[in-house]
Amino acid sequence: MYQWLDERLEISRLYHKFLRKAFPVHHSFFLGEITLFAFITLVLTGIFLTLNYEPSIRPTELPDGRTVPAAYASVLYIDSLPFGAVIRSIHHWSAHIMIAAAFLHMLRVLLSGAYKKPRELNWLVGLGLLGLAVVTAFTGYALPYDNYAVTATRIGYGIGASIPWVGPTVAQIMFGGEFPGSEMAIPRLYSLHVLWLPLTLIALISLHMVIMIKQKHTQPKYAERIAPGKILGVPMYPQQLVMMSIVFLLYLAVVSFIGGVFIAHPIEAFGPPTPQTPAVKPDWYFLWIYGILQVIPSEWQFRLFGALISPEFLGGVVVPGILILAAVLLPFVDTRSDKQRYLELPSQHPLRTSVTLGVLVFFIMATLAGYKIDFQQAGSPLGDNRVLWVLLLVVPAVTTLVSFVLIKNLYGAKNEASGQLEPKAGD
Amino acid sequence: MNEREARLRSSRRRAVLKAAIGTGIGLSLVSAFYVGSSLRPRQVVTPDKEPLKPGDILVFAQGSGQGKPITPDDIKPGDPLILAHPMDPQSKVVKSGDAKNTVLLVRYSPEELDEETRKNAVEGIVAYSAVCTHLGCIVSQWLPDRKVGLCPCHGGMYDFAHGAKVVSGPPPRPVPALPIRLEGGQIVAAGEFTGPVGVET
Repeated sequence: MYQWLDERLEISRLYHKFLRKAFPVHHSFFLGEITLFAFITLVLTGIFLTLNYEPSIRPTELPDGRTVPAAYASVLYIDSLPFGAVIRSIHHWSAHIMIAAAFLHMLRVLLSGAYKKPRELNWLVGLGLLGLAVVTAFTGYALPYDNYAVTATRIGYGIGASIPWVGPTVAQIMFGGEFPGSEMAIPRLYSLHVLWLPLTLIALISLHMVIMIKQKHTQPKYAERIAPGKILGVPMYPQQLVMMSIVFLLYLAVVSFIGGVFIAHPIEAFGPPTPQTPAVKPDWYFLWIYGILQVIPSEWQFRLFGALISPEFLGGVVVPGILILAAVLLPFVDTRSDKQRYLELPSQHPLRTSVTLGVLVFFIMATLAGYKIDFQQAGSPLGDNRVLWVLLLVVPAVTTLVSFVLIKNLYGAKNEASGQLEPKAGD
Repeated sequence: MNEREARLRSSRRRAVLKAAIGTGIGLSLVSAFYVGSSLRPRQVVTPDKEPLKPGDILVFAQGSGQGKPITPDDIKPGDPLILAHPMDPQSKVVKSGDAKNTVLLVRYSPEELDEETRKNAVEGIVAYSAVCTHLGCIVSQWLPDRKVGLCPCHGGMYDFAHGAKVVSGPPPRPVPALPIRLEGGQIVAAGEFTGPVGVET
């Protein structure tokens, strides 16, 4: 059988050319793979969901006599199918895991300096993938068309429409008219969520991996000690494939457990959209933006060439935009003349490590600010805007400073000693 | 530059080919704009999406009485706010298709209202647009101890006894008031909203 195929498809040539690719073994290297496995799970469960979902808000009568939008009714129907609710839950939680794993993967690349020459392009592709994953999750959020999801998406529409000059047009193109209200909104979001964004994701994931294979992995630091100048790792087939399969099966087991125990987004409890809006909080990966919107005072607005620069634009678009811009520029500012082969230790780059920690603490503090109303109702001092502003600005700055001093003092002497040993790798 | 390249440069075939490709790309771009403009769907105004007009009857937007006209007896001072939709008095169409038509009603004792607010009120009942000026959520919760309305999305609070003054949270301006009057025991819009509804762009 193998020989028959090999004579026609030259499998052994393929094996020697590609399937022997060396994969370095390091626990932090599995984060990208988990992102990929989450994506595969999302595609498979998503296909199941599309087969029974109706992308329309046409009024439909339920068996119990209530008239609800067809999309809402079809998700109730999915939930009633054997394992339907579990599959929808797995789809939901996999989206969370994909975004979390992609973010952690980015952190690993950032802290180990793997974005430097020659891998600047793949850093940009990766940033694009993270952004697209978040946009895809957002477009899927409204599809069940329950009261909670509609309200959350309405806020997203409001933030998009707050972009000066082009905002309303961009938001209306993305949402197919005003949201909520337009009958075109759900078909438009559906098309984006199940067709265009996944296609773009697949294309970019392929590009990400082709570039990675072409440029080779950065080697973990220990490879430099064991076999300097050589590429250390296990071949793609069979060793790496076995490990990947184990991680994938573990992933499926964990996400099935989570999906089975914690039924995601209980639309029956949220109910179909009503004129009233419930108290909503966005998913955790938007909570920091939500928190920034909470603390920006409403007086921070002005007119510029006829357009309104609103607090929503400043908090919801400008602040994330600055962070994204910084990430895009990073590999072109912090670069090196020779090609990088080995991961850098975070302890040897105190500035980069401490600023990264500061930004992470900023995210945490902004997330905390997302609970402002809850703090206010509980009578906690954290409900005070001034306290939150201090937390938002001072705590990240202090974190950066303290961790910088700590890393310098704890590792500084060691770094100087090992500095002479650093080989000038030039290839 | 060798001889072959020089000949190719001056050749008319190359020029024609380039012109053809250029024209093709140009025309495709122009037509792409025509096709692309359809990405922004046309707004179709069905009767249930028409804006609120003076004379419209305010009806319950939700609950067991949904679609029934609201009478002053339905609201007592201190009760939570009521969400309403306008109903065309002739065609009896409830204009619930556009969220911007959502109106909130709440009743104070008349002496609680300030001068300006009292002009639009009837027996202490005040009506406002329910669309939060922050990001367009519906101001739908009532805080009985502070006697203010709360937008649950980002915690904007409006004091409806004082022209919907923003007392807390991010909304940039008050929600516009809706003057009302009584007509046959029903609450009817006496005019337009006093300002633009919803989020300013």
